[in-house]
Parts: sequence; structure tokens; C-alpha cells
Amino acid sequence: MADNQIPEHALTRLAGLRREGHPDGIFTSDFSVNEFLLVRKSGFEPIGLCVGSCIYHVGFQFAGWSSSVELDVLSTAMYEARALAMERMREEAKQMGADGIVGVRLTVKRLEWDSKVLEFVAIGTGIVHAKGHTGFKGPKGEPFTSDLSGQDFWTLLQAGYRPLEMVMGSCVYHVARRGAFASMGTIGRNVELTNFSIALYEARELAMERMQLEATQAGAEGVVGANLHEGSHGWSTHVIEFFAIGTAVVPIEGGSHAEAIPDPKLVLSVNS
Amino acid sequence: MTGTAESFGHDHAARNAAWEEALERDGLPEFVTHRLEEAAAGRGAWVATMTPAELLLARSHGIRPVATVSGTCWFHYGWSWTQGHAQGWHEALDRLRREAVAAGANAVVDVRMRTLRHRITSSMDYTLIGTAVRIDRLPPGKDPVIATVPALEFVRLLEADIVPVGIAVGASYDWLNRIGYGGYGGIYGGQTSWQTQWKMRSWTNQPLHELTDFWERIRREAHADLRAAAGRQGNGVLAHTQFGQLIRREQDKQPPAYLGRHIVIGTVVDTRPAAGFHHEIEQVIDMRDDLSPLTDPNEPRHSGYEADIQDEEGGI
Repeated sequence: MADNQIPEHALTRLAGLRREGHPDGIFTSDFSVNEFLLVRKSGFEPIGLCVGSCIYHVGFQFAGWSSSVELDVLSTAMYEARALAMERMREEAKQMGADGIVGVRLTVKRLEWDSKVLEFVAIGTGIVHAKGHTGFKGPKGEPFTSDLSGQDFWTLLQAGYRPLEMVMGSCVYHVARRGAFASMGTIGRNVELTNFSIALYEARELAMERMQLEATQAGAEGVVGANLHEGSHGWSTHVIEFFAIGTAVVPIEGGSHAEAIPDPKLVLSVNS
Repeated sequence: MTGTAESFGHDHAARNAAWEEALERDGLPEFVTHRLEEAAAGRGAWVATMTPAELLLARSHGIRPVATVSGTCWFHYGWSWTQGHAQGWHEALDRLRREAVAAGANAVVDVRMRTLRHRITSSMDYTLIGTAVRIDRLPPGKDPVIATVPALEFVRLLEADIVPVGIAVGASYDWLNRIGYGGYGGIYGGQTSWQTQWKMRSWTNQPLHELTDFWERIRREAHADLRAAAGRQGNGVLAHTQFGQLIRREQDKQPPAYLGRHIVIGTVVDTRPAAGFHHEIEQVIDMRDDLSPLTDPNEPRHSGYEADIQDEEGGI
């Protein structure tokens, strides 16, 4: 291979000949090199980091010792705070004129000075179609949101789908403690703790249902990269949050047929 | 012969004096210049942090490693932690560039940002280490680009008409409601800060708007600062490091004050808008077990959700 693979423009820049800078049109992004290249390969350009955050005071809720119930106050808090952070992020993307946001990371952080205050942050890179194609916007002409990485974004487009919106569902559930009689009854026996099983089933089901409903309402065909997280944000041991999150997708109009999608090649790389 | 490696030998006092004098005049001690010039002229061995694979790709694209170069600045934050970080990195960057120029380099690749984890109060060391390279088709550089990407990615970026040119630091901090110091709270404080306080003690769900707005503003200012810093070198920045803290300080007979500070560090790139990427991409599935998505379906395959903010440091 000859060294002429480095384009002239790059060489000129390396020689320090073009240093006047760019007063406008500076993009910011948290892409890796590969993500950047693949987003470009998909026909998009990054324009700016979009951030939304929400500092939220989570209310108090009492749950009976022996009752398996959803803790509405906590469920609402966890959902609403994330939705607010996402909304603010989307607002920033809109102001930039972005077609969408990829690589969204959602984080929850407990602030050390108050256990009831949680900080929710949504951060991602706003991108635009390089040729001004408008068919990639999300619902209602707003920027789409997606937690897919640049690589996953390219692959999704190859598969004939485009991201629409990040969808999520949250359910914070109190799993009942078992009474003394019930515990004594199972000493020395292998039995299913049915009430625990049911509680986990129900909580997971509620979170999934809510996510699915959001996707349907957004007009999506499906949800990719769906993931279910179980977590506790400083609550007592019997309180668990089930959090479902994924990217709702729709087929690209006039997208490629399934037969036209090339079969990935199987390789076995030998460098470990 | 004075001023060469032999004459300084193991004379610590002389070497220290040479360093001190060099830092004073924003230059390099003569023994460093000598070593780098020798390497540039091909009289000594070249030193590279590259792996053999990276060396292969560099060679095939007409890029030669010259020497390992570095820049260090141990910086004390006298008046501002936030601005101190930006200044410390910039100083280290200048020093790294100085060594690269002495080596006649066109670029420094694989630049790593390092700090020691020490507990020496209100100071931090900022160190940059990288490999100076020459590009065969270009004359020795007067103003080499500083790329925080490994040689392999450097070449890949160049092929795609993207030049990683340097490092940008964006930082911002402010106080909310600090009595007697103005800041954000000086304008908006008082009434709303008490409301924030009441909300925090309530039994119901409450978004804390004032704190959210304050914190978001700091983060946005840091990003704007990053954008401005990047604009002086190129037309884009890939931010790889984000670090933020929101600290509460109690005050007498007043709602607490909050200090928010945020730092973003990224690699600046220079590229033509909409240059595209013309390489063909072949989709492959690696059949090594630890790389197959089929073996561990429960592992998240994207970065959708994390328990906490990352504050790691490293290449992009």
C-alpha cells in the first residue's frame, strides 16, 4: 500500500498550513473514533453534546410489612425525573437543529449530602443528516432519541430500521416480608416462596408493559436493545426498582429488503 | 563539550539547574534537545509506544516513529480549582509540543493524559506522554498536532480526512446562594433557595427546579467553554472525559449554598464538514467466545444505563 491514502486536506492540515480556525460550526461529541466514523458512514454529522439533567427530591412512601405492592410515589419519581432529564436534553437538541440524538446515556446518582435527592442526567450527541434528509426525525417532528452507540446506529440502519424514541418503564415494588408462621412452616423443606415469585413477576411485568405502551404510542414497530435493570437507590432491602429501557424503531420508508441485507461473514480472529 | 548528555552525566545538581532554567524560559534542557535531535536525525534508536500492528499500519502510510515525548506540570490551584485544571493541562500540552518540535515531528500520537493519585492538597500533576512521528511526505514540523488517539486510530482518522489536532479543556464552576459572594444566588437566591429547602424536607415527589437549572447551566457553560477552546484549533471535539461535582455547604441562618463544578476534556479534530467515510465496511461475527453476543445475552450491548457518572481518564 502506498502512502497516498492520506488525503491532501489532511496533509495540509498536518503541515500546519490551515490554522485560521473555524469561528462557527464547531461540533462537540462524546463519540469514540469508531463511533464517529460509523455515524459519518451512515450519512450523519455530529453537531453537539446534548445534556439534560434533573435534580429530584424523592418523596416518602410507607409500605406495610407483609404487603407486596407497587410503591407509586417511588415509581412516579423515578420515571418522572428521567423523563424530565430526557425532555431537557431533547429541547437542547431541538435548539441545535438536530435530527436526533444517539448514544444517550442515562445516569442516576445519589447526592452524598441528602439521601432523598437524586440527580438524573441524560447525555448524548446530537446529529444531523449531512444531506438534509428530513425523514429521520422522531415523533411529531422532534429529534429522535436513542441509546444505541454509533456502531449500533449504523447497523440498525443497515437492517432497514431507524430509531424513533427511547422508551422506558419503571416500577418500584415492595416485596412482602414473610410472617413468622409462614417461615416456620417451611423450615427444612424445599419449597417455592410463591409470594416472592409473584412479586418479582408482577413488578417486571408492569415495567415492561409501560415501556411497550410507550413504544406503541410513539408509533413504533418494535423496540431494540431492550434491557431490564433491577436496582435499589438507597431503599430498604425489600424495595426493588425494575426499570425497562430500549430504543423504539420503525422501518425506513423504501428501506432495503431483507434479502438485500448482506449476511455477516464469520471470522475467527487469532490475535487475543 | 558542554551541553551534551556526556557532560551532564550523573551530575544531579547540574541537571536540576538545567531543568529549572529551561522551565523558566519555556524551553528544554540541552540534553533533552540533544537526545531528540539525535533521534530525529536517525542516529539513535527510535522509541515508540506503538504495538507491532500499529507500526505496520503507520509504515504502510508513510509514518515513522521518532521518539517518546512528554510534558509535565504540577499545578497548585491558588484561586480556582476549575480554572487550575484547564491551565495545568494547557501548560503540559505546551511542554509536550516543545519536545515534539525538537524531534522535528509532524505529529504526536497516542498521547496519554496521566496524573498520580496523590493526596497533596489543592494541587495535581498533569502529565502527557506520546510518540512523536514524522510523515515522510512532509518537511519537519514547526507546529506538530497532538493526537490523543493511538497510532492505529490516527491513521484511520487521517484516511477519513479527519485530523486530530490537540486537546481542549472546558471548565466551569459557580456558587448558588453563597451569602456575600454574589454568583448565581446573588441574583436569584433568597426566596427560591428557601423553597428548595422546604421541598427537600417534604414528603412528596418534587423536582428541584432551582438546583437543576443551576447545575445544568454550569454543565452547559463547561461545554460552551470546550467548544470555544476547540474552535481555536479545529472544528470539532470528541469529549472523552467528563467530571462534575455538586457540593453543599451549610450556612448560618440561611439556606445552604451549593458549589457546582464541571470539567470536560476532549480531543480536537479538524475535518471538512460532510466529508463522509468511504471505506467499505464488512460485517463480521467474531467466533471467539468472549466476543460473541450470542454467549452472554444478559450483558448490555449498548451504553444505555449506568449506575453512576464516569470520571475516568484516558484516550478517546
